[in-house]
Amino acid sequence: MTAASLHVRRLILALLASAALAGCSNGRQTPTLLTLAIGIDPDQRVDTEQRQNFKERIETLLTEFRQLYPNTRVDVGLYPEETLISAIQRRSRSGLQPDLLLVSGYTAQKLLEDGLVDPYPANPALLHNFEPATLNRVRNAKEQLAGLPVLLQTEISCFDRRRMPRPPRNLEALAAASASSQTVGLTVEPSNLFWTAGSLGAVPALTQIVTGQKLGAAERSALVGWLRWLQQASGQQDINFFPNQIAADNEFRAGRLSWIPCRSINVPPLRKKFGNNLGIAPLPNGANGFIASPINKVRVLALGRRSSAIGRQRALSFVQFVVNPLSQRTLTMGSQTVLPVNRFVTVPVKSSQVLETMATAAQQGHQADELAARLNRGGPSRGRIQTLLTELVFGETNPEVAADQLVRLLEPRR
Amino acid sequence: MNELFLEVVGWLGFLERPAVLLQLVMSLAVLVLSRQARQRRWLGRLPTLAYPHLGQALLALVCVVLAACNQPYGLAELLTGLWFGWSCLGLLQRLLRRWLPNEELHRLDTRLLRPLYLLMAALLVISEFESLRDLAVIPLGQLFGVTVTTEQAFQALLVIYLVLVGCGPPAAGVAWLLQRTLGMSEGSRKASELMLRYTVVGLGLVGVAVYLGLNTTAVIAVAGGLSVGLGFGIKEVFSNFVSGLWLLVEGSVRPGEVLMLDGDPCEVRQLGLRATLLWRDRDNAELLIPNQTFFTQAATSFTASDRMRRSQVNVGAAYHHDPAIVIELLEATARGVAGVLPEPPPKAFLVSYGDFAIDYALRFWIANPMENGGICSMVNQAIWHAFKRHQIEIPFPQQVQYELPWPAQEPETGRD
Repeated sequence: MTAASLHVRRLILALLASAALAGCSNGRQTPTLLTLAIGIDPDQRVDTEQRQNFKERIETLLTEFRQLYPNTRVDVGLYPEETLISAIQRRSRSGLQPDLLLVSGYTAQKLLEDGLVDPYPANPALLHNFEPATLNRVRNAKEQLAGLPVLLQTEISCFDRRRMPRPPRNLEALAAASASSQTVGLTVEPSNLFWTAGSLGAVPALTQIVTGQKLGAAERSALVGWLRWLQQASGQQDINFFPNQIAADNEFRAGRLSWIPCRSINVPPLRKKFGNNLGIAPLPNGANGFIASPINKVRVLALGRRSSAIGRQRALSFVQFVVNPLSQRTLTMGSQTVLPVNRFVTVPVKSSQVLETMATAAQQGHQADELAARLNRGGPSRGRIQTLLTELVFGETNPEVAADQLVRLLEPRR
Repeated sequence: MNELFLEVVGWLGFLERPAVLLQLVMSLAVLVLSRQARQRRWLGRLPTLAYPHLGQALLALVCVVLAACNQPYGLAELLTGLWFGWSCLGLLQRLLRRWLPNEELHRLDTRLLRPLYLLMAALLVISEFESLRDLAVIPLGQLFGVTVTTEQAFQALLVIYLVLVGCGPPAAGVAWLLQRTLGMSEGSRKASELMLRYTVVGLGLVGVAVYLGLNTTAVIAVAGGLSVGLGFGIKEVFSNFVSGLWLLVEGSVRPGEVLMLDGDPCEVRQLGLRATLLWRDRDNAELLIPNQTFFTQAATSFTASDRMRRSQVNVGAAYHHDPAIVIELLEATARGVAGVLPEPPPKAFLVSYGDFAIDYALRFWIANPMENGGICSMVNQAIWHAFKRHQIEIPFPQQVQYELPWPAQEPETGRD
């Protein structure tokens, strides 16, 4: 036998031995490693800064978690949410799924539907901490929980104080601002545009459609009215529609827009760019008491399949730890970009204008909870709704026809 | 860097999962089994090339069994695919052998195909464990005040490698086009190819620096410091590099040129960064001569303005032959030897009256200086035959030894 082949043999033996030892470890000697995959919203970029932010937030939580479970290490991986499902599918075939996934409610439902996460074990005492509407957003038709809600990312408005001293309180003021050369940016992504439906009184119509009810004349009229407003807005010289939030953000950062709807999670990078010139406010309401209906995103911790026994146990403990009032408060106060989902945690709105704005957005968003829940639960492809909205704002279709198509898209499948 | 290391170490945590461990152990076991079977020829007449494919088929079967048992099999499947791909590279090499010379093929295989395949394989395996997008944004450290991420470092290294390895064929193509368009000589084509390669590599390095967003002021400052270091520390290397560039531009030493080195004609094979590679016909030796040697010392070239060499053989003929006839015969003989150029015509001269023969010199021109030895030998042989045909004697020194008797010794006379 040559020296080289002897060397290879020894190497293989050493590898096998170390692998076997690792497999036999019971977690008491070595730290328990939790793998956490975080889905990054299409509104956000995966970059070094973002990664650092997430690491810091997780580390803050872990520092406290380790007081209860000292031997715990969390390995974080960031995935753009649009590629997360395919990545988890691939990893699932290899038995390498993460133990935990922090994703949007919509993605969690898709993962559960595809059998890529385990349903979260229902525990009445634990679920008592959440509003039923919040849980509905992560519950499938079989009443299984795709994960446990942990955070709420609200949709608010961001404006450049140098160009727009005061934020528009309602849609009329927004239209007036645009008429006075203050450029406004909107996106055709459904989740970022549906807030206008509330301001124009179309949320009841949308809710009726997604719950399978027939539309009355008044509701249909409101629906068409909302779509007509969108089409007319696109005709305004200083209201611009963008294909996605990142494009709108870029224009806003470049100083070419005065006002955009934005996600609370995106406020820190904008603050870094604009400093005190960045203003934030709730989204503008409409006339006749109609209030904006932002689709606030619920972030969910879902359980990956095929975790080791100790990994699963530690993952469940971590999820429960994250939703306890103390952790929820730490997350909210520490980041100032998310709201707690534990209903027993009070947000100190007086302490910060950001928190106050987010709390208002959360209130505004409640009217769209049912809509958001139905859309999450195997609703139509968001891409098809976006295509329809794009055709509408570019004048390819008229509001009446668009309303009919929207009804067909949103109706529950029989 | 620390973060990246921790990420990699974190992947070991997956070994706690029996399903992962099972796939890895099975894959390794089949791999080792296949190697053993091939080394020991367990299957008798089966060609050795077939053993890896047999192993791959076995591993694929393992995947099918795992899938049938509803167990994860993706990792084993990926490893099977990568192993199969690696074997296919060998087949590709055999296929390419029809079109590419061995040396080129070896270079393509070892410098481009296999490294790229390994890189792709590594990325595929890593993407099973981790989000590549996430790994890409891990900061590795600071370079001239700029934070460099894994993605940037990876791309920069990849670009540099591809530029270094891959700029050869395009540069050769452009040089060939230039030669066709401008009617350049072969030496000039090789020189321009080399200069194009240096230019592409230089531009590649500058491009990478710009891509990384390096602070130009800092780079210039460091370059200034380095130049002092170069002056003291690696002066010879730098001097050889600059000499090489200068020689290329000047065109005095280019690949294909024939230079005299220690009395032997040598052909320039390659002008490298540090040294020039020369080939000596006499003993098929390859000589590595530092570039600055040619820069600082006199050199004899047979190929500076043209590639012709004037050659000469010497011969003696007996005194009783008419020199005019001998000279005519020598010139006619040279004209008939293959490799001797008809123009300028061969010329023979009566050089001197020697001790035992009249010395003649036959001068003729040849097209390739490296063939001088062979052609001279052929000319000498042709002269021998021609002289024999014309009964011209090639005398050789003859010595006649006479035995001179020593003077007779006088008988000793007695003393008084």
